[in-house]
Amino acid sequence: MNIFTRGILLILCLVSGLSYAQQTPNRISGFYPGVPFERFMEKIEEETTYRFFFKESDIKDLTVNLQANNDKLEDVLSQIFLPTDLKFSISKTGEVFISKGQKLTVDFPDSFFAQNEENQSEGMTSAQDEFVRNRRYVIGVPSGEGTTAKIRGQVLSLENSKPIQGAIVYDKITQAQTITNPEGRYELTVPKGNQTILIQNIGGYTEQRLVTIQGDGELNMSIGEGVFSLSEVVVRSGALTNISRPEMGVQSLSVQQMRKLPSVMGEVDILKGILTMPGVNTAGEASVGFNVRGGAADQNLILYDQNTLFNPSHLFGFFSSVNSDMVQGVELYKAGIPANLGGRLSSVLQVTPKLGRTDKIGGSGGIGPLTSRLSVEGPIGSKTTFIVGARMTYSDWLLDYLEDKADIGASRAFFADFNGTIQHQLNEKNILRFTGYYSEDEFQFDPDTVYSYSNQNFALSWTHYFNDQVEATFSAGQDGYDFQVQGEDNPLNSYRYNFDIRQRFVKAQFRQEKGDRHIFSYGIHSIWYDLNPGEIAPFGAESIVIPDDVAAEKALETSLFFGDEFEINEKLTVTGGLRYNLYGYFGPQTLPEYAPGQPNLPENIIGEKNYASGELAKSYHGPEFRFSGRYALTNWSSIKGGVNTMRQNIHLMSNSSVMTPTDTWKLSDPFIKPQRGIQYGLGYFHNLKNNSVEFSAEVYYRTMENLLDYRSGAKIVLNDRIEQDVLVTKGKAYGLELFLRKSTGKLNGSVAYTYSRSLMQTDPSEQKEQINRSEWYPSNFDQPHNANLVLNYELSRRINTTLAAKYSTGRPVTLPVAKFEYGGSERVYFGDRNSVRIPDYFRLDFSVNLEGNHKVKKTAHGSWSFGVYNVLGRDNPYSVYYIPEEGTLQGYKLSIFAEPIPFVTYNFRF
Amino acid sequence: MIDRASRFSGLWQKYLLSVSRIALIRGDFFSRSRASFFSLAILVVLFFSCRTPFDPEIPQTASQILVVEGYLDMQGTLSELKISRMSGLDSSQSPSPETAALIYLESSVGTKYYLEEDSEGRYLFQYNLGFDDTYRLFIELQDGERYQSAPLTPIQTPEIIDVGFLRDEEGVEIFLTTQGNENADDFLWGFVETWAYRPRIGTSYIYDASIGNVRDRFSDEQISICYKSASSPDILLETSSRFQDQVVFRQTITEIPENDERIMDRYSILISQMAIDEEASKFWEILKKNSNDIGSIFSPLPSLIRGNISHIDDPAIPVVGQVSLGVIRQKRLFVDLQDVTPWNFVDPQFNDCIVSAEAVYQVDYQRIFGSGDIVPVVPIMERTTIVAFYPTYRRCADCSLYASPILPDFWEED
Repeated sequence: MNIFTRGILLILCLVSGLSYAQQTPNRISGFYPGVPFERFMEKIEEETTYRFFFKESDIKDLTVNLQANNDKLEDVLSQIFLPTDLKFSISKTGEVFISKGQKLTVDFPDSFFAQNEENQSEGMTSAQDEFVRNRRYVIGVPSGEGTTAKIRGQVLSLENSKPIQGAIVYDKITQAQTITNPEGRYELTVPKGNQTILIQNIGGYTEQRLVTIQGDGELNMSIGEGVFSLSEVVVRSGALTNISRPEMGVQSLSVQQMRKLPSVMGEVDILKGILTMPGVNTAGEASVGFNVRGGAADQNLILYDQNTLFNPSHLFGFFSSVNSDMVQGVELYKAGIPANLGGRLSSVLQVTPKLGRTDKIGGSGGIGPLTSRLSVEGPIGSKTTFIVGARMTYSDWLLDYLEDKADIGASRAFFADFNGTIQHQLNEKNILRFTGYYSEDEFQFDPDTVYSYSNQNFALSWTHYFNDQVEATFSAGQDGYDFQVQGEDNPLNSYRYNFDIRQRFVKAQFRQEKGDRHIFSYGIHSIWYDLNPGEIAPFGAESIVIPDDVAAEKALETSLFFGDEFEINEKLTVTGGLRYNLYGYFGPQTLPEYAPGQPNLPENIIGEKNYASGELAKSYHGPEFRFSGRYALTNWSSIKGGVNTMRQNIHLMSNSSVMTPTDTWKLSDPFIKPQRGIQYGLGYFHNLKNNSVEFSAEVYYRTMENLLDYRSGAKIVLNDRIEQDVLVTKGKAYGLELFLRKSTGKLNGSVAYTYSRSLMQTDPSEQKEQINRSEWYPSNFDQPHNANLVLNYELSRRINTTLAAKYSTGRPVTLPVAKFEYGGSERVYFGDRNSVRIPDYFRLDFSVNLEGNHKVKKTAHGSWSFGVYNVLGRDNPYSVYYIPEEGTLQGYKLSIFAEPIPFVTYNFRF
Repeated sequence: MIDRASRFSGLWQKYLLSVSRIALIRGDFFSRSRASFFSLAILVVLFFSCRTPFDPEIPQTASQILVVEGYLDMQGTLSELKISRMSGLDSSQSPSPETAALIYLESSVGTKYYLEEDSEGRYLFQYNLGFDDTYRLFIELQDGERYQSAPLTPIQTPEIIDVGFLRDEEGVEIFLTTQGNENADDFLWGFVETWAYRPRIGTSYIYDASIGNVRDRFSDEQISICYKSASSPDILLETSSRFQDQVVFRQTITEIPENDERIMDRYSILISQMAIDEEASKFWEILKKNSNDIGSIFSPLPSLIRGNISHIDDPAIPVVGQVSLGVIRQKRLFVDLQDVTPWNFVDPQFNDCIVSAEAVYQVDYQRIFGSGDIVPVVPIMERTTIVAFYPTYRRCADCSLYASPILPDFWEED
């Protein structure tokens, strides 16, 4: 390959990388060391839309021995069939016919249906034979005016009927030329008469069409795409990234991987998938959040595209609130968080929504015992794609059923979520995208009290490509979360309680390549917080409940960030970043003044200060550093190190061991300081067996400041002066994470083991109360040993089985140590905070995914997923507690899923 | 095991009920939401969830902590202070009382008002003292350990405005109305319930071995009506400033489920109202939270409980107790069966109780009735003399087996 072609290919790659990259799903990749041809075909059918038709005897002894790297099937098959007399034909709908000796004609020649119309075109012709090239097309109707005529048309790929962008269409004689646009459209002015139109697709053959131009007309063409092997410029992604990317502590999970995991109630769940990763655990099966490297659940930033999801779950964490059909993949940053992301102390979970497909309208969905989901996607016109999805529960029947079994009263639970993305390509350099998300949960336990919460998010973003080096994304949007309780038990005491949070954000983010070795990313991110921490109002005319509310809070947070990924040499790459965070807490607000040096208690209030609307009451600012580096030891192994600091200005007030929907948010104010943390990490990464096996080992140590714990009897709901109940707390966490993943082969899967500790300490200067005498105590989610196993075995192309196991040390709890009589009853006295552990957790799940048959003509492709959650039926304790029973206190452990739970779900796509 | 499991599930339901009832009584949406979350989580997974006994190894170190409880009435009503020591969780005996302690309340000028030991660990207080002073409680134990309270300010508890009951489809709800003021904002209520208990079969006859015959029972021998009593195990708290004009209107005190035994005849409840300060309110709140909300799915972390008593010589030694001074206001309410009819209390354990159709004649009195297990019920008359009795088992006719046959002195018949 000469330098010129290399250059062109490079440009092509950049262009396709910069513009919204069009995937070529029907390309073939993989290493086939002497595999039977039949197995090879199965693999192809699995990965592409091609379907093979053949006579078994023809291919019986054929083996495939080659390595393909994003090659066309034609090229691959040609090579395989070279030593044989097998021939193949590929129809335009992707059927591959293999025959001996003579090639089958699979499509009618164009002329078969040729009609004598004024506009000739090839239609969707695919037969790439001399006929097309040498046939003379007559364009337009004869007209006397002028000597030139305009021809228009669309250039499509012969292989997949997709528009070809950037193909040069020119007239052989006049050399008049034009380039096809992203939809493959062109317009060219040529002299009338017999002409030869040439089409040069970059990297492909030059095609010709003979035309007789009589007047303006249309000429559509299908041409072959590239014929060169692209193997030399394939950008390696996936397997090698864990070694080569400079950040550490980043875990990616694709939807395909998540689909294989057994799930509760058969619902594919991104959060459950995340929990199979090392360093991620959860306080229990019914908890809303997850904990990353010893951090609290509110220290995770959950981003759906650009939007923050405040409550990532439905039904208290039984389901995550993101519809898996609408997700392309998730990436969890446990460390090595890029400078353009921030705002939480522990991690960033980036959920990348799916974009609508461009070829046709399609969709997917699923039907399970509790929920159903449906999504539709496709193009609108040639420049716009959309995807919309909805998910809903119909759990009432289950509750009705349970009602027969047990007296559960008028309990009802309902949830739904809707989301969608529209992307519009204004032109080659500008892309607009709108993303929206809405979820709703509603539940009640008796007819009188209704609880509900809702996430509302939307964002508009505009991506602009300045040139090959610089691109920018500007986005703006709003994230909202509402919670409400409505009680109508007694008309006199009927009330409505609610809180909500709104954050509006604007973000400008630039990415710039500087030379070959630097990639800069820089920008600004502003968030305007508008928080109603809680209010209660009488409900109904008779109610005598006194309205009460906690003053609304407003704050502005602006972060300026700059990051550089610098490839010092082939072995050493570093990324560094600085994020400067400015935070202002604004009026209108009335704040007490406490005597200096005294704890924030009511008796120490010496005055009060009023702040007018928009007046700055308190500001905080400080830098966040992000640094990590990678040193490649060999082609297959590297070591990485990193340190990053984080700040968090918004806090979740929670006095229970898990995140609950009632937990309210609080902004940093003069008394509640921003949480700060620093994390150091070191890791070793090694890939084996041609990248099919990845191994990583990471250690980390982190400290956290200004965490929140609460003094005894703290009231969190409707507390005007929460600082009087908050204890300033420090935290530290450290751990070792080992991860092994085999991603290919019939048997694949991953093993993760984590040893970690998460400890807290009431700041010794805290005067209100000191938990455990200000000694270090384990946090609620301190689970030292944690192991996860996921094993997939592909029995055949259609049957895939998965076994998943999870083990962790029991979480610490605070238990009673003595009993006494008080207030007419026996009471318990609790020992030190988190000094006892509940028994260890172990669970085994099993699932089978059964693909439907692969007939192309089916209107929908269905698949069944069934399995058993907690196969062993182990009653893993969720918590333990004591109840006075016949004069003595009896300890009990509560298990949530104590029996094997079978599930079945039908999924389909069309 | 299955038996055990179903029993647990039954208890579970009961526990849920009690939790939600407490929440209802409290009328506080917060604790209610907690309780309800708890319930919902269970509901969602009820089918799958289960609980099993659990006995973790707990270091038994904290079991010697002193516990002090008391609300002392400053207007001369007899009130009591209880002191005891905690006991280990696994011990079946109740916590041990602290006897022979020297306890007094000291006014700001140093006047000491001693409490008098009544029964074990109970000390009585009966003084009429001023409300403008501050006081301190001192406790000196037998072994010389000395404890004191924080300074205490008595609170004038407002009168109970009204007590009443409401009959609805779920049963009977006992309520109270009161009004707080600037000094008395937080309220603590307690109650003692007493109800008449009748056996399935009533009899006014007794076999008297000394005369060898059946005679009418004397009034101190009656077994046809008894009285059961129970005091409130719940902590009832409310803050009046949550409501308009600080009127706590129809605060639920207790709920009697439909067809409950308590209103089989006549029911009485004595409600005590005590005003407490904010600190005490917090203490009781923690106590309540720690007992009702332990270890459920969404329950808050248990709180450290202390109170206003401390060890004089070593403040690091933990003590649990909140002593308050004030006035105990009381009101009694009676509810009669006819007020709530239809009300069908049926105790299934007596469903086999019948008056035997086989009469016992006088010659057999000693043989049949002598042991006391069978009692005479319905006389058979021949002209004007009783010649025989239709009998029944004592367990069907003797309420004193289950309750006290002595009429409480407060009992009023209408």
